[in-house]
Amino acid sequence: MLDKVRYFIMRALRNMRQWPFLCTASILTMAVALATVATFFLVVVNVEQLALRWTKEIQIVAYLEKPLPVRDVATLTKKLKAIPEVESTRYVSPDEAMKRFRKHLGEDASLLEGVGRDLLPASFELGLKSEFRNQQGINTVIEQLENILDVDDLRYGQKWLERFNSFARMLRFVGIILGGFLLFAALFIVSNTIKLTLYARRDELEIMALVGATMRFIKIPFMLEGAIQGFLGGVLSLAFLGLSFIFILSRSLESFWLAPTDFELLFLTPFQQIMLVLSGVLLGVMGSLSSLRRFVRI
Amino acid sequence: MIQLYNVTKKYSGDSAAVKDVTLQIDKGDFIYITGASGAGKTTLLRMLYAAEKPTRGQILVDGQNISRIRSRQIPYLRRKIGVVFQDFKLLQSRSVYENVAFALEAQGKKRYEVSKKVYQALKEVGLEHRLKRKPLELSGGEQQRIAIARALVVDPLILLADEPSGNLDQDVTFEIMELFKRANARGTTVLLATHDHSLNQRFPRRVLTLDKGQLIGDQRPANTMI
Repeated sequence: MLDKVRYFIMRALRNMRQWPFLCTASILTMAVALATVATFFLVVVNVEQLALRWTKEIQIVAYLEKPLPVRDVATLTKKLKAIPEVESTRYVSPDEAMKRFRKHLGEDASLLEGVGRDLLPASFELGLKSEFRNQQGINTVIEQLENILDVDDLRYGQKWLERFNSFARMLRFVGIILGGFLLFAALFIVSNTIKLTLYARRDELEIMALVGATMRFIKIPFMLEGAIQGFLGGVLSLAFLGLSFIFILSRSLESFWLAPTDFELLFLTPFQQIMLVLSGVLLGVMGSLSSLRRFVRI
Repeated sequence: MIQLYNVTKKYSGDSAAVKDVTLQIDKGDFIYITGASGAGKTTLLRMLYAAEKPTRGQILVDGQNISRIRSRQIPYLRRKIGVVFQDFKLLQSRSVYENVAFALEAQGKKRYEVSKKVYQALKEVGLEHRLKRKPLELSGGEQQRIAIARALVVDPLILLADEPSGNLDQDVTFEIMELFKRANARGTTVLLATHDHSLNQRFPRRVLTLDKGQLIGDQRPANTMI
């Protein structure tokens, strides 16, 4: 048994040595195909991550009918914080609102001279936990909010949220379609390359069948070869991806998306890296297997 | 050893490559299959090593009916049969040794057994000093001798040769014939498809003649002990 395993491995390696050009072509094709799909995956993941960060800006602003006495602020804040969906609360007094407004106006702040300090209403600003930063989460919070506060008006960027949701949906849709196309193209190219490499060696396959080799005996070394090439292709694509991430992808994504400076671009997690190499192995084995079916006729 | 009963092989279309052939070949026979190009010699041989299935009729090889053989069993049939072709069918990227060893490795033989038998087989055909050469570095006759060594290294019951001397000059052809005769003397049944009548004149044996797929002649030499 062990003898056979050793024989198959030796033959796979010897075949690769005997056909260096075909072998390199297979490895490179698989590396390029895997790197293309993985790059696309990285772009989608990062754009989605970035888009998720924008939802941090989502907050509910509840304008109150009248300013609260100082002693009530603490108790109400406590009650608001008790709402499960709420992450943060902040009371903005009319005074503070005016200060912000003044700052916002900048040089035009002089326009506010002579205006009363309590012109602007007091408000509570509520930040939501990330999993509730959507229409449904906002609705639940508002329901509970109205039981606690005398609310005059509510603002939560409804239009923005709708637009964001449709953008996120589109992003996912385009991602799946394009990713699917890429994956299909990659599979097509890889299987054709392997088919060509086997075509060049069809004499060998024919002679093997002629001298009484079983299907298994013919197929195993080729599958092993596919697995080794797929593994090397996977590792190569990972290296290529790492380099392009550092030198090209991270820079272009940062400038293109005007990412906030504290936004750190994501690379593949260790699990995803292993999956990338494993899919190379799988690609090699499946590619060899499907092509062998065509050329090996006993 | 080999029996054919009303064997017909049709490819697409109406004309049959082999038509209603019935014959019997005994163990240890040496037989020429002759006929013009397209007479059906190659098709007949291909059916014997199960590269083709007959359209009608039955074929028995070593007691096994191979007319409806399952593809899983074909490798085991082929281990009893050595095949030699006009174009040698050697692996050009492998050495002489590897080409011959290939047949034994394919049958799952152990390493030490392989090297011993390969050396013996190459010695038998007089090429033991060319072990490490690649086939293309050798002459046509030498390449055919490697192919014969590959066919004989597995001690086959039957040796099929399809125009083995088609590309070789006469001296080399006679050398090759000596190899077939020796294998035959050791008990291997030999079937040799050829259109070269000089072979039969020099080495008279039973001759089956095909014409347009039909068996039109079955001559035995007067003295079979030659």
